[in-house]
Amino acid sequence: MSGTHRIKVTVNGKLYEAEVESRRLLVDFLRHELMLYGTHAGCEQGACGACTVQFDGRAIKSCLMLAIQADGHEITTVEGLAKDGVLHDVQEAFRNAHGLQCGFCTPGFLMVAAALGEEKKVLKGDALRKELAGNLCRCTGYANIVTAVETYLEKVGGAAQ
Amino acid sequence: MNDKTMKTGKDKLIGVNMLRKEDERLLQGAGRFVDDCDDPRMVHLAIGRCPYPHARIKSIDVEAARAMPGVFAILTGADIRARTEPISVLRPLPGLLRHSYYAMAQDVARFEGEPVVAVAARDRYVAEDALEQIIIDYEPLPHVVDAERAAAADAPILHPELGTNVVVDNTLDAGDPTPLLEAADVVVEDRFQLGRVLGLPIETRGVVARYDRAAGMLDVVTSNQSPHLTRSQLAQSLRMPESQIRLSAGTIGGSFGNKLGLYPEEIIASLFAIDTGRPVKWIEDRMEHFRATVHGRESTHRIKIGASKDGTLIALDDDYFIDIGAYNGPWGPSVLASVTMPGPYNFSGFRARRRVVVTNKVPMGAYRGYGPPESNFVREVLIDRIARKLGMDPAELRKKNMVRKEQMPFTSKSGAIYDSGDYSRCLDLALDKLGYKEQRQRQAEARKQGRLVGIGMSCYVEHAGYSAASISRHTGRRFGTFESVTIRLDMSGQATVFTGIPNFGQSLETAFTQLAASGLGLSPSQVVVKPGDTLGTPQSVGAFGSRGTLAGAGAISKAAGEIRAKILRLAAHELRVSLESLDINDGIITSHEDKSIQLPVSEIAEMAILGMDLPQGDEPGLEATAYWTQPGPSFGFGAVVAMVEVDPKSGEFKLERFIVAHDCGTMLNPMLVEGQVAGGICQGLGATLMENIIYDPDSGQLVNGSMVDYMVMTAADMPKFELAHLESPSPVTPFGIKGVGESGVIGAAGAVANAVSDALSPYGIEINRIPILPETIWRALRAAEKKAA
Ligand code: FES
Ligand code: FES
Repeated sequence: MSGTHRIKVTVNGKLYEAEVESRRLLVDFLRHELMLYGTHAGCEQGACGACTVQFDGRAIKSCLMLAIQADGHEITTVEGLAKDGVLHDVQEAFRNAHGLQCGFCTPGFLMVAAALGEEKKVLKGDALRKELAGNLCRCTGYANIVTAVETYLEKVGGAAQ
Repeated sequence: MNDKTMKTGKDKLIGVNMLRKEDERLLQGAGRFVDDCDDPRMVHLAIGRCPYPHARIKSIDVEAARAMPGVFAILTGADIRARTEPISVLRPLPGLLRHSYYAMAQDVARFEGEPVVAVAARDRYVAEDALEQIIIDYEPLPHVVDAERAAAADAPILHPELGTNVVVDNTLDAGDPTPLLEAADVVVEDRFQLGRVLGLPIETRGVVARYDRAAGMLDVVTSNQSPHLTRSQLAQSLRMPESQIRLSAGTIGGSFGNKLGLYPEEIIASLFAIDTGRPVKWIEDRMEHFRATVHGRESTHRIKIGASKDGTLIALDDDYFIDIGAYNGPWGPSVLASVTMPGPYNFSGFRARRRVVVTNKVPMGAYRGYGPPESNFVREVLIDRIARKLGMDPAELRKKNMVRKEQMPFTSKSGAIYDSGDYSRCLDLALDKLGYKEQRQRQAEARKQGRLVGIGMSCYVEHAGYSAASISRHTGRRFGTFESVTIRLDMSGQATVFTGIPNFGQSLETAFTQLAASGLGLSPSQVVVKPGDTLGTPQSVGAFGSRGTLAGAGAISKAAGEIRAKILRLAAHELRVSLESLDINDGIITSHEDKSIQLPVSEIAEMAILGMDLPQGDEPGLEATAYWTQPGPSFGFGAVVAMVEVDPKSGEFKLERFIVAHDCGTMLNPMLVEGQVAGGICQGLGATLMENIIYDPDSGQLVNGSMVDYMVMTAADMPKFELAHLESPSPVTPFGIKGVGESGVIGAAGAVANAVSDALSPYGIEINRIPILPETIWRALRAAEKKAA
């Protein structure tokens, strides 16, 4: 048995205070304590990327962190993308490009893409595929995911220029 | 379709790229997968698995674990034997009808990963702590992890009661092809190896079981492709009536055949739910997944093909071993490898001998393609070798031997009935897309510069859906060939479609919405699909073998046609216009007799559901249940063309072009069809280029059983691919649609292997195994250079 710690963490703009076990993974904390089930666990080894969230604006794999490491930080999960029931641009882009099938990998890809969009990176083709290589999708063959992210990045990056 | 019900309704949503209904919630992380539910009273399972490939379990001491705080209950193999029946086999192997296994090892465990003990605890962390406190005394036994070794006389026998590891030896043939092969001008032959792979859905398996003691009802949510079939297996294992079990699938995060039928964990979770009275959750972790979910494909073929000088294919003779692992699972090994072995060609002689062998590995089961990818690889590679031997163009040789459009329906030498298609035209589509002639010239020029450029192709048939005639009760099979739906309208005029088929990414809700809205005359927003639940749905078979949408389409068209006819009858009565004058579009009833009529379906629905003012002879309600069975088999077709350049120094190669032209009949939603093909290509290329489960022959251990060690395609690995479509409607299916779920996966290996062999032809190197690793090519190149020097 391990000890517990009190943490304060902001998730999707909301401050949570919780007593968590030291060994609790961040992904388990988000899913089973905050009940934010959109962050998925596909391997718990850092290999699939389904658990990707934004941690102080950077895309990270939440299965490779402990919940207590999130103390004092800000996290955005897939639930934080849509505002007032309106899909985020990256979500729209995935829908229009048929960028998802089973949808299990999708939140991870969305969080990586949204982080790229916030950095206003206009990536394409192979360069983009490299950025996405930390996330596995077993359904789509990636082409439509790449198209979706290209369309989205073009939209947000283009708007900034 | 001959059936009249297929013709009613407007088919205006057939062939339309409708965006997906399921996306809105999946994009927001609200998919409701099996792990997305919690309950404060829930207990969590961890399963202790045998760490050895083969071991006798001498004793299990659970006392220390039982005493740990937070531990609720523990089950061992002895409990399982006392309280359950072995998992029933849905597709028995001929000659091996009843061979099966319990949910936990009994005395002897036969593969690394076989369940031995299970703990239910406050949370998964505590359950795993408790597993560590359980002391199991194993006596390792001799193991065998290679099929041909296992078939040898001196191999350790896995199941002494069977007396052999070769559990099935059966031959499908059209007479003995030996005389034909002896008379052939050229004969090519080789031994081929296909690696062991797995579907690897990004969501692992998972179960939540609840038991309501007062009602005696067991409620199981499990990620599963065939809820009705799995429920009957579970009922049989638990010795409960099916009517006391509800089994539903929730949303499934990919399955690819791997989530078919009953697994031990559903039985184990159910027992804990009954014992503890609490909701019980088990989520497979990824390390377990490699050791607890079925593997696929691995086989070794010794195959010969004979042809005459002019390139006419004469006979094919294949002798292959399938390594099914330690047990015959509910679905067992493929049979379609033999059935699809002749592929799209005319042969005069044919034989396929299949030997199914047990080894100390994870059991094999269904995996996307399930036979055709194997047969396609071995056949297509040999066909290219014949072309090389005869100095013929491989495309011409294929076209010369293909079943022609006028020959349809055509019965292959293996007994498969091809219903429709224009195979050589489809191959031409792929070749044209490549610019075959120009690329052959480019290749010749590159070769002059010493560059290793190659072009390869492969052609396949895709078995799409099962027909009634293809399966008999006497084979012992425990699944039907039909599908069913219930469609029910409510007073608002909205239709709900209830189906036992679950949604695992194949876009079931979208496809069924298109079909139901078309059949009823409603708009897609007026249709809701409720998939994957045994509660309240008619008996269903499930989604596999490229059948779900196709078989569902038959049932939906029938049920929707019935309802639509009733709506019109009621409307004619209410509006006092002739039945023939009425039509329904987007939920509005109109009449060409009286243009002022614009009656929403909701008004007729209200009339029907209240049961008031009905015409004589009509009962209240607006709903229908329909079953549909495919009257005859249907086959899709595809042609793959690949172009590669091999680096002679490193053996690495780049897929420069990859083209799939395919024909899945009428495309219900071309966007979804392309998505299915693309996903199949990615898995087909994975097995061609990198995927391979490795067991160490000395220790018998699974060497690369984690997502870090088992390589699959990423976005960076996946090459660009190009698609072309041909639509040859099937005469035996609704709207002429054929399945497409397995299409993309089948032809990849053959086309890439042929392109690589073509590139390496100056060295005389021939590919005969997948995955095709740069290391293998590098070694072959160095050996060839040595020989030349
Ligand atoms: S669950 Fe975190 S990377 Fe797979
Ligand atoms: S959509 Fe299923 S894993 Fe990506």
